[in-house]
Amino acid sequence: MNEEIQESIQVFVSEAGELLDEMESALLVLEEDPSHEGHINTVFRAVHTIKGSAGLFSYDHIVDFSHHVESVLDRVRDGQQKITSELLSILLACHDILENLVQAAVNDQGAGDEEVQERTRGIAGQLEQYLGESACAVDENPMVSHEVLQIDDQISGIELGSNWHISLRFGPDVLRNGMDPLSFMRYLSRLGEVVQILPVWDDMPGRGEMEPESCYLDLEIEFKSDADKVTIENVFQFVKDDCKVTILPPLTRHSLYKEAIEDLPGEPMRLGDILVESGAVTERELKEALEVQQSEVDQAELKMENISKTPIGEVLIHKGSVHPELVNAAVNKQAKNKGSPEKTIRVSADKLESLINLMGELVISTANIALLANLTRKDTLNDALIEATENMGQLVDGVRDASLGLRMVQIGETFFRFRRIVRDVSHKSCKDIELKISGGEAELDKTVIEKISDPLLHLVRNAIDHGIESTETRHKTGKPKKGLLHLSASHDSGGIVIKVSDDGCGLSHEKILAKAQDLGLVKDNQKLSDQEVYRLIFEPGFSTAEQVTDLSGRGVGMDVVRRNIEALRGHVDVESQPGKGTSFSIHLPLTLAIIDGFLVRVGKSFYVIPLDMVEECTELPEEFQNASQLNSYMDLRGEVLPFIHLAELFQEKNVRSGRENIVVAKFAGQKAGLVVDELHGEYQTVIKPLGKVFRQLHGISGATILGSGKVAMVIDVPALVKTAASGAFEHGRFSSNSEVLN
Amino acid sequence: MGKTILIVDDSDSMRHVLGVTLRKEGYEVIDAKDGVDALEKLDGTRISLIISDINMPNMDGITFIKEVKKIYAYRFTPICTLTTEGGRKRIDEGKDAGAKAWMVKPFVPQKLLETVSMLVMP
Repeated sequence: MNEEIQESIQVFVSEAGELLDEMESALLVLEEDPSHEGHINTVFRAVHTIKGSAGLFSYDHIVDFSHHVESVLDRVRDGQQKITSELLSILLACHDILENLVQAAVNDQGAGDEEVQERTRGIAGQLEQYLGESACAVDENPMVSHEVLQIDDQISGIELGSNWHISLRFGPDVLRNGMDPLSFMRYLSRLGEVVQILPVWDDMPGRGEMEPESCYLDLEIEFKSDADKVTIENVFQFVKDDCKVTILPPLTRHSLYKEAIEDLPGEPMRLGDILVESGAVTERELKEALEVQQSEVDQAELKMENISKTPIGEVLIHKGSVHPELVNAAVNKQAKNKGSPEKTIRVSADKLESLINLMGELVISTANIALLANLTRKDTLNDALIEATENMGQLVDGVRDASLGLRMVQIGETFFRFRRIVRDVSHKSCKDIELKISGGEAELDKTVIEKISDPLLHLVRNAIDHGIESTETRHKTGKPKKGLLHLSASHDSGGIVIKVSDDGCGLSHEKILAKAQDLGLVKDNQKLSDQEVYRLIFEPGFSTAEQVTDLSGRGVGMDVVRRNIEALRGHVDVESQPGKGTSFSIHLPLTLAIIDGFLVRVGKSFYVIPLDMVEECTELPEEFQNASQLNSYMDLRGEVLPFIHLAELFQEKNVRSGRENIVVAKFAGQKAGLVVDELHGEYQTVIKPLGKVFRQLHGISGATILGSGKVAMVIDVPALVKTAASGAFEHGRFSSNSEVLN
Repeated sequence: MGKTILIVDDSDSMRHVLGVTLRKEGYEVIDAKDGVDALEKLDGTRISLIISDINMPNMDGITFIKEVKKIYAYRFTPICTLTTEGGRKRIDEGKDAGAKAWMVKPFVPQKLLETVSMLVMP
């Protein structure tokens, strides 16, 4: 904001300088030849414009003084005052004073130093002599007399139109369907007075193409009536399928609608309902708008795009059904209704932490009880016990969700902190960048939010520093001067997706590839897709920035970003279009403590695979059954699927019974199969972190306790998928780890 | 979909401040330094509101408004006059020419935005 004001003041100073120059030269011409009356207009305009602009910045001293000068000049223009050489020299002095005042004002000196003030008073006194009797009234306090104050109460006004505006776009079939457009006009005139009808011929075809039976009539109608919107709309009821009717209420009605919106009961309502209740929008308009909204979503789904719905208010405004102001009023009302009943209690994070820990234990012991109950079923057929435990199970699920919800906080706050950073960083790099934030109301576990803010910061800085081009380059390539950085969050199948997108230059396929070849990450003859190339930026030590700034570009960034995100059991994707921009999507689980898992048995041990990463389960093909190699590839419906024998990997004792199964896990777009002995199905998993000694284990990310009291390991799917996909197994590394496990 | 507002004023700083204020609210802004310049900018671009000064060189605001009303595509475009002279006379002249609203300089940003939001064509 401050910069904007500073910039505006600069414009004012240079403008005032130009105007004062014009004023001076015009006065000098007049001095030589007083008959040049046109020049007095130039002088007047200069003073007038300075007065107007100075008012913008509340430079009252300039406004006051120029007002005096203006009044005198006005009398000269009206012929009440002759141009004399004495007057001209006073006006030249006025010019000098205005110059001083402008200088003083921008230097924050108000009326200037003593000397300027003294001279100002002197000249103002001399001017008064020329003002004649009319100015006597302000004589007592000559410096405070601007009319601006006097009309403060009517500083702006709108000639409120009291007429309705109705747009009719009759469809071609109106006549064929036996309707007479004129009859609607006649009927309409029974409700009030049709002030004006204007035909619109935008849709009118050429003479040759015109069909005699089709209707091409489009009308704009000014209509004066006290009827309400629904009544007017009903006039066109019989033609509503064939005709596009837009009814804009008169501006005078706005206050009525606003009052109606205010008077609605204070319970939470949907925006559309608020507008319909108040009469600003009819049910038909709302229905149509909802359909538009839905079809947008449907189309996006067809194109596999992920868009957020256009707010219903915007759809209505776009359709011309309602005035933006009323939507704002309704949104405010909605916020007020929502806002009031919400009360909060501060609870220390430690207490929440211990509650959630207890919750985890409770989930485990519930599973234990359920197991025991199921065991007794076989012996005693005790249905009541089974039912009671199932009941309890559901309640525990509810309590678990509620208590995890306690730790959920909106991500918006984290986003908003980036405003300052974006502002500072973009200033530093001399770029004009707008930060757009959406989906800030999405909730995430507080611990996740704390850990995600660093990687986010890095992505944001990168986008500003490398993504968005300088203002100059943008101008050259025909992009809007202002770069756009968009932070958004949305829910996606049990997790959350945070997106950092910019409309900058995008990633360069060639540069990344060249750099990767330099670093030896890619062989010269290797063919890589765009996606694969873009993913290379997450490799350690990677940076293609030509210039290293203090903001980013040291190449330590992106791999740390990836590691941090993967530590949260999330993953990051990158999409980019050259010249259009880059978009990073961070996929995160909502919470860290409890997940839905998929329980499997390998040898004698149990393992849990996070359910959101499980794609499908299938039987291991005959030819691989009972094979003992660690990893291999199979054909999954025409796709190459690398897979790993978990039994071999974790060196489980061979207790194979029956056929082996393969669990297909997917991570970051890459699939891999995990061969297991037995599938046990979905399982509520309370993740317990591994002790310090086991932190470095590859392939295991945690442990959990089963209902039976046994320990199951939680599989680190990202790590396994990646190793399986790259096919680079180092036997040693894995076996040494699994020895520790056993 | 941004709404476009045309500002007509001979004062650079007035145009600048108006532009900054309106752009911050998300409007697109086109500006012109007098009536003649403004008429050239009315080339079919969709304009949701015209804010025009009255006292300008080349072509004053009143003449400009009358000219706009003659252009078919812009006959419904709301026009708001912006004037330093708070006198009723100027306001009435503007109204007679076809202006829907008036505002007095120096404007209060909040008031301006309120007025603008009531006026812009949906």
